[in-house]
Amino acid sequence: MAELIVEHLSLRFGGLTVLNDICFEVHPGELFALIGPNGAGKTSVLNCISGIYRGNGVIRFRGERIDGLAPHVIAARGLARTFQHGEVFAHMSVLDNLLTGRHTRIRTNPLAEMLFLPSVRRAETEHRQAVERIINMVDLERYRHAQVGSLPFGIQKIVGFARALALDPALVLLDEPSAGLNRQEREDLARYILRAKHELKLPMIWIEHDMQMIADLADRIHVLDYGRTIAEGDPEAVLNDARVRAAYLGRS
Amino acid sequence: MFRPTPRASGYFRTTYAADAALVQTRTEKIFLLLFLIALAVLPFAAGPFILDLACQFLLASIGALSLMLLTGYAGQISLGHAGLIAAGAFTTGILARETGAPFWVTLPASALTGIVLGFLFGLPSLRLRGLYLAVSTLALHFIVVYLGGEYETKRGFSTGIVIEPPSFGGIALRDGRAWYFVLLAAAAACLLVCVNLLRSRSGRAWLAIHARETVAEALGIGIARYKLLAFVISSAMTSVAGCLFAYYRGFVSIEAFDLFLSIQYVAMIIIGGMGSLLGAILGAAFVVVFPYLIENAIRLLPNAQRLAGDIFAVNYAAFGVVMILFLLFEPLGLVGIWRRIQNYFLLWPFKQRPLAGGRT
Repeated sequence: MAELIVEHLSLRFGGLTVLNDICFEVHPGELFALIGPNGAGKTSVLNCISGIYRGNGVIRFRGERIDGLAPHVIAARGLARTFQHGEVFAHMSVLDNLLTGRHTRIRTNPLAEMLFLPSVRRAETEHRQAVERIINMVDLERYRHAQVGSLPFGIQKIVGFARALALDPALVLLDEPSAGLNRQEREDLARYILRAKHELKLPMIWIEHDMQMIADLADRIHVLDYGRTIAEGDPEAVLNDARVRAAYLGRS
Repeated sequence: MFRPTPRASGYFRTTYAADAALVQTRTEKIFLLLFLIALAVLPFAAGPFILDLACQFLLASIGALSLMLLTGYAGQISLGHAGLIAAGAFTTGILARETGAPFWVTLPASALTGIVLGFLFGLPSLRLRGLYLAVSTLALHFIVVYLGGEYETKRGFSTGIVIEPPSFGGIALRDGRAWYFVLLAAAAACLLVCVNLLRSRSGRAWLAIHARETVAEALGIGIARYKLLAFVISSAMTSVAGCLFAYYRGFVSIEAFDLFLSIQYVAMIIIGGMGSLLGAILGAAFVVVFPYLIENAIRLLPNAQRLAGDIFAVNYAAFGVVMILFLLFEPLGLVGIWRRIQNYFLLWPFKQRPLAGGRT
């Protein structure tokens, strides 16, 4: 069964149609790439899935409808995401960023927290261990106590990815994780994405502009142009599709 | 949030629990002990004036800490904090006067008043932001002061409500020294509650909301719930400060809770340094002591006698100037200055920290 099903998703801002009848499915453990030229509506699709935008259409996550739910409820169901510009919490340490990402998995109540009861102490230690496993996975040990705002942009993007993993997600939405990274950082990122795919068996929807990375890593590709689907399928077939080439390069 | 500042020499923890401890090294423990001894000795060494000043500072620091929690951490502006202190003080005054309720009834009642008001005046924060939110909290101030004033005139207490000092097991709390220790305990409890909240789930949620609401929500944080929680906790603590204030003065009157008091609390957290509990405490000390400094400075002037009538005006003006100077030249507040001094000694004889993230 598909992890996530998007059926006939449309989104309008006033008179502007941003998304028009988008349909796709993400299968278990699949790295599903979402590509398209600037303004094609890729981020809008993610925003609809994570509940930030309200579109028309049905979105099912593990068989249950999630369209219309509040973003924090959707996240609590196990749908984590990263943001295009990182959007990490600059004034917090790497550890606190990841622990914040783990918010929905921590079950302490404010009254117990006020007194820092043994139950809170235990929970904090337990979740610290979980977060340390992720830090280990994406090689952030050196930076764990560093304030995120003081770190290079490339590391900040990794922190954003790790923060999404900290939620113990069932599906991750990656919004251009490689934007603004250099060659070396992209290679690191690709390694972490593959690790999440193989070790955690995580399905991911991945927005990306780097065609080389897409061709190398993605299992399937879905192409948008002006809010419409123009192709979907295996990387090789899609990237050689005449309409995809036309959308990216223009018609001759 | 409360990870220790990096130390000059290698110091390593081997368990996560040790990493989360508030007091870590032996030196820190010794300094904390010395500090506590100094606090305990102070009332016996100081005269009544200093003692009163210390009590005022402790009361102010409770209010400043709770406002810091709300504004400095959760990012919600409030100009209604004087109103909340008034609400606590009036709850105490009215209950004590009308029903003769003892201390252990009026204190939770004040907290409850704070919780209810905090919830009601937190509701606009779900829709309003920044300046607009500030104006809606200002309404809280005026409503509470209006209701308090109505009560005073209707019951014929136009000069204020006189209340008896609280008693513990038959012993009335009148002595300044005893008050000092009660207020010290209350302020310490308030500080501990803030520290604990900030190093756990709620505190991180507040910081996330402060940074970016959309992102916080996408991470699974219920924005409405945590904003209201911040308002409720902050208001409850402030109302408790109001209750203590009423007993400490033995007298409740609306004149004590003008808008300037709210401004003073905002000033405390700005001058102290936004986003720091130490800042709230330093700011409270500064704002409490500052008027006395100005007064003494004016006394030193040659024509002191003629200027006596202008002390109030000079005070207000000087206060405004100090606020502007802090905003312009030291946005990190007193705590920024403190950290610079700390760093100076930590790094000596060097001037700069190695680059962040550098290989160690």
